Amino acid sequence: MLDHLELQSGFARRWLLDSSMMTDGGEIDACYATLRRFDDFVERADKTHLDTLQFRLQGLKDIRTTIKNLSQGAVLDDIELFEVKHLAILSTDVAKLLNEQGMADVVEIPALDEVISILDPDGMKIATFYIYDSYCAQLKDLRNQIRQNPEQQDDLLLQASELEEGVRKDLSRQLHPFAAAIEQAQLALARIDVNLAKALQMRQMALTFPSVSADGTCRYEAMFHPQVKAALATRGRDFQPVDITYGMAPTLITGANMGGKTVVLKTLTLCQLLFQFGFGIPAASAQIAVKDEIYFCIGDEQSVEKGLSSFAAEMKNIDAVIKASRENKKLLALIDEPARTTNPTEGAALVSALLKVLTGKDMSLVMTTHYDIEPGEARCLRVRGFENGEMDYRLVEVQDGEVPHEALNIAASLGIDSEWIDMARTMLAHPN
Amino acid sequence: MRYDSLSIVGLEKNTGKTECLKYVLDRLPVQTKRIAVTSIGIDGETVDQVTRTQKPEIVLREGMYFGTSEMHYRQRRLVSELIDVSDQTTSLGRVVTAKALTGGKILLSGPSSAIGLRRWMQEMNRFDIDLVVIDGALSRMSSASPAVSQSLILATGAAYSANMATLVSKTAHVVDLVNLELTDDATRQLLMPLEKGVWFIDKDGNLHGLDALTSLSQDIRFEGIEDCKTLYVAGALVDGFLEKVRKNKNLKQVELVVRDFTKIFVTPQQFRLFVKAGGTIRVLQRSKLIAVTVNPVSPSGYVLDSDILCGKLSEAIGLPVFDLLKNKQCN
Repeated sequence: MLDHLELQSGFARRWLLDSSMMTDGGEIDACYATLRRFDDFVERADKTHLDTLQFRLQGLKDIRTTIKNLSQGAVLDDIELFEVKHLAILSTDVAKLLNEQGMADVVEIPALDEVISILDPDGMKIATFYIYDSYCAQLKDLRNQIRQNPEQQDDLLLQASELEEGVRKDLSRQLHPFAAAIEQAQLALARIDVNLAKALQMRQMALTFPSVSADGTCRYEAMFHPQVKAALATRGRDFQPVDITYGMAPTLITGANMGGKTVVLKTLTLCQLLFQFGFGIPAASAQIAVKDEIYFCIGDEQSVEKGLSSFAAEMKNIDAVIKASRENKKLLALIDEPARTTNPTEGAALVSALLKVLTGKDMSLVMTTHYDIEPGEARCLRVRGFENGEMDYRLVEVQDGEVPHEALNIAASLGIDSEWIDMARTMLAHPN
Repeated sequence: MRYDSLSIVGLEKNTGKTECLKYVLDRLPVQTKRIAVTSIGIDGETVDQVTRTQKPEIVLREGMYFGTSEMHYRQRRLVSELIDVSDQTTSLGRVVTAKALTGGKILLSGPSSAIGLRRWMQEMNRFDIDLVVIDGALSRMSSASPAVSQSLILATGAAYSANMATLVSKTAHVVDLVNLELTDDATRQLLMPLEKGVWFIDKDGNLHGLDALTSLSQDIRFEGIEDCKTLYVAGALVDGFLEKVRKNKNLKQVELVVRDFTKIFVTPQQFRLFVKAGGTIRVLQRSKLIAVTVNPVSPSGYVLDSDILCGKLSEAIGLPVFDLLKNKQCN
């Protein structure tokens, strides 16, 4: 999703990557309220305004080192002074643009007019900089002499550079109190860039604004996986959206192979993360509960370097979920076919026990499995599966966790060698 | 690009490239035109690390724009106004752009790649520049590529070869490559979007891909392409490929097209043999060669006779040749 975010500046990207996940409902609400304003702006603003704003934001540079130097009382050099002036003019321009669009209250940009007037003594309002003649009458004289006597240039330049250094010292002293405001302006511009990009992405990918769920129930209508949807679209096919609701009771998803169970888990994980980073959600509507931690265990992460088999890697991941469930945190755990790589007898026992261990904890658990296990308090969902030669990826609620036996049909539909499949059928029909 | 660009390229270190740049900058009309100067790739130090000869600073005139690295900007010996600090970095810091408010000296170190240079030039669009002058990298032609600059001046001299006959023929070869003619419009339109691979056009104008990634491929085969009219090499053209084309009886009269002269890496011998056998080499993009300058002095102290050298070279390439230090033109 990040790769498809049209950020205008590298600084905004870094700011976004450095930000941490929101775990407070109020903060998330506020974040979406801001995004709504940008969404509204993108909706009604004409293309010229939008282009101008985007073009301006391209000029946003990462000048944190310069700001740090300034706040520590260092004397800035010409390049650093230029950066400060450039940012001050840029933020003033952007503030003006937003103001014209009735967006002045959305992101607060500190006024840097004084900074500009310090660095723009001639009032030219253009983002260029040098130690202007008007800072120092003596400097002006010297420069005129330099122009008239090129042969004595080296001497004169030396004298001038001493005067220039004095001016820089003075300017840095004058700018010092504004260091915090300059930093805030830089962050404000990054926030604007990120929000604008998010709003545009919502349109491009048909994303929705979620609401924060108060009772822990998450409800998605017509949820889709953007990447899979895009991949299908290039082959001229449609993604079949999925409705899913889950609460604090464990949810068990069963269904045929290739029924999209893993995609559902991946999409739920993606949606939860997007929600807690304040992005649009890939669904027609979404109500999502805030979590402190999100665990996604996909089970095929064998690590040759660490000497872990896929089974061992999976056990360790799930172990982390159990340990976290004993701490006082709100969790979301999404576990894909646990214990699938071991024998079915022990595997089923492990999954049943896992379900029991995690039931009643302060967490939402969504788990897929192929094992026939006793659901207990868990809600069971099933992928509709193969009907009339086509896969129906929608989920239906069922009373028990009975798993479908469609593996052979699906394998046959993939054109797998018939000697193998037929022999398997025979063996099923006559177990002895 | 809206403005013109001129690249100055030396065939070897100490062939007088910097002298040539000075000469050009001194004579440009700064009052009426906006001139921007930069360099590609840098050498960095004031003393040349390879040959230990002095590396001169460039003297800019009031009103000129220039692009250099942060480090060299801080060392500047002129009064200038900063107009841009770009995101492009070089080993000497970011590339900054400024306007000279007095005349004075500066070390130039611009973007470090042809792509970076192109980006810098595009950024210059904002400042209504009329002409960009590029101090090209030594013995690297990339900045002279027509994809970057529209015209070039070639600096050659005793440092390239101390034997006059060799110097003349080696320089003439480069000039021949620069002056290769453009292929026809239809072919250009067809081939321009193809940025890699080897392709051919049959006599009915149909384009076919050849099963080879580059002309460097050892196992390239030309069987079954009897009706080939034009052969196109998107990447580098090398000796081995040219020889195979020449020795294939179906391809003797072929028109061989390359992107531009900077993609040609063939020896003068192979080039001549190919042309003699009836083949033609054409390009998709061409830059205009404005002049050739010579420095008859080699860093090892060997000196060629300037008048004879200018005369012979001018005769061989059919273009004016200048020895800038003697400040005279020989035709």
